[in-house]
Amino acid sequence: MTHTRPTAPPSPAAATGAPAVELRGLTKTFATRSGDVAAVRGVDLRIETGEVVAVLGPNGAGKTTTIDMLLGLTSPTGGSAEVFGRPPRDAVREGRVSAVLQTGGLLRDLTVRETVRLIASTYDAPAPVEDVIDRAGLGAVASRMVSKCSGGEQQRLRFALALLPDPELLVLDEPTAGMDVTARRDFWRVMHAEAARGRTVVFATHYLEEADDFADRIVVVAQGRVVADGPTAEIRSRAVGRTVHATLPTTGRDDAVATLRRLAGAADVTVQGDRVRVVATDSDAVARTLLVELDAHDLEILTGSLDEAFVALTGAAQTTEEGR
Amino acid sequence: MNTTYLGLELRRFARDRANLFFIGVLPAFFYIIFGATQAYGGSPLGNGNVALYILVSMAAYGAVTATVGVGGMAAVERMQGWGRQLGLTPLRDGGFVLVKITLAVVVALLPVTLIAVIGALTGAEGTTVAWTLSLLAVAGGACVFALFGLCAGLAFRTEAAVSAASGMVVVLAFLGNVFVPLSGTLLAIAKFTPLYGYVALARYPVTEGRLISGDGASLGSDPLWLPLLNLGVWSAVLAVAAVLLVRRGRERQ
Repeated sequence: MTHTRPTAPPSPAAATGAPAVELRGLTKTFATRSGDVAAVRGVDLRIETGEVVAVLGPNGAGKTTTIDMLLGLTSPTGGSAEVFGRPPRDAVREGRVSAVLQTGGLLRDLTVRETVRLIASTYDAPAPVEDVIDRAGLGAVASRMVSKCSGGEQQRLRFALALLPDPELLVLDEPTAGMDVTARRDFWRVMHAEAARGRTVVFATHYLEEADDFADRIVVVAQGRVVADGPTAEIRSRAVGRTVHATLPTTGRDDAVATLRRLAGAADVTVQGDRVRVVATDSDAVARTLLVELDAHDLEILTGSLDEAFVALTGAAQTTEEGR
Repeated sequence: MNTTYLGLELRRFARDRANLFFIGVLPAFFYIIFGATQAYGGSPLGNGNVALYILVSMAAYGAVTATVGVGGMAAVERMQGWGRQLGLTPLRDGGFVLVKITLAVVVALLPVTLIAVIGALTGAEGTTVAWTLSLLAVAGGACVFALFGLCAGLAFRTEAAVSAASGMVVVLAFLGNVFVPLSGTLLAIAKFTPLYGYVALARYPVTEGRLISGDGASLGSDPLWLPLLNLGVWSAVLAVAAVLLVRRGRERQ
């Protein structure tokens, strides 16, 4: 699925050439009772105005922490974060960036409209309340208490709040978490309309499918680092790796497995009885090694699902991590 | 000051019938039972009468219940993610605190006004100065106890903890000589408890420090510095605890 987007309208930031987002050597370490935990371990990322970027990674990859620093909600342990060339908190105050955060964060005893009015009152020149309610598709539930709204409706409300400052950069942290299929589809339909207005959009997700459908560019994060970054089509072709299955000769099987694990094109190697299963980013190289070097037989190559692809991308990082 | 935010906060408060009852109505009911309808109410006392003394006590109880609730809910809301939502807006922490403090005062004025009107109509008497200064002290001093609610909310992060803190106010009110005139050892202990200084200060314009007992015997009087010191020390303790708890909360985020 491809999306043509009109060119972004010229913005002050574009004039000065400052990127929408610039993260340099960003790190964050949390002190816990069982010692320090590094959530983000050095992220460098530059996002130009008008880009639609998916930050893809498994739970605990450091996506939310990175986004928190990008929004000025948390201060980095090291490195720097800038939004339109400014400290994040300033960009937030100027209404140039807003965000849809993960679950929580709404007052249950206000109505949908009251919540929008409240947040609108914090801005100098917010978008009209009724207009924002309509755009987020909340017209029918505007007078309903937040506590009576479904998860999808609450998420659309957070989205409505994010539209209030008419931001140049919109950040979405797992925006469809907890939504059913219909709600998810509706949400992305509304998002397409907003992206078409030329906003820069950065969203975190752990669904490769969402990243694939909506983003121009995918940044894959694992273990607090960027492990892949490129245009969606490129990442997908790299990511939708293949699985190579083969039977190894009984003698020297352990050595053979070790050889496979060292192979650059093999992301994950598992042994199931006398069969070996290799999640490959380069299936040709894996197949060649298996047949020529390792004397394997009954070789099969299967095209992986998106889920397996995801493991291929992020699992590689895990292997590197363990190898340290 | 963000008046839209304050207006919506007042509407939220008005929606909670249970709160409205415990904060707005119950203290006034207490006053009617223990003050307005008692024969001793008319006995003169300092710059007023015993009914005015009981009126100030119940108003103080009501005002503190109100501010503990507002302070506690402010903490719980922020912990439960509303703080992050507000962190995405230009609203500064100071602006949020100002809205909540104003809310606490307005909510505290609800029982105070209700009790004052009922009292004025049912025999509470005193000089204009005594009425004015006492009620001002009730409303102003109550703000300190918003910090108590805040600490409870920050420490336990649940609405139940805030309810428990409001319930604790009843216990502290007994210990602090608010409801029943204490004497002997209990009175000696009471002087160290948090609500003692506050209520003694609020009563001061009426009693000029005189302590009364249940049987009318004199128990001497408190110098003005005693309630001031009590309130000052407890304000400092609560403020330090709140700062430490905010810091702990931030590190965990």
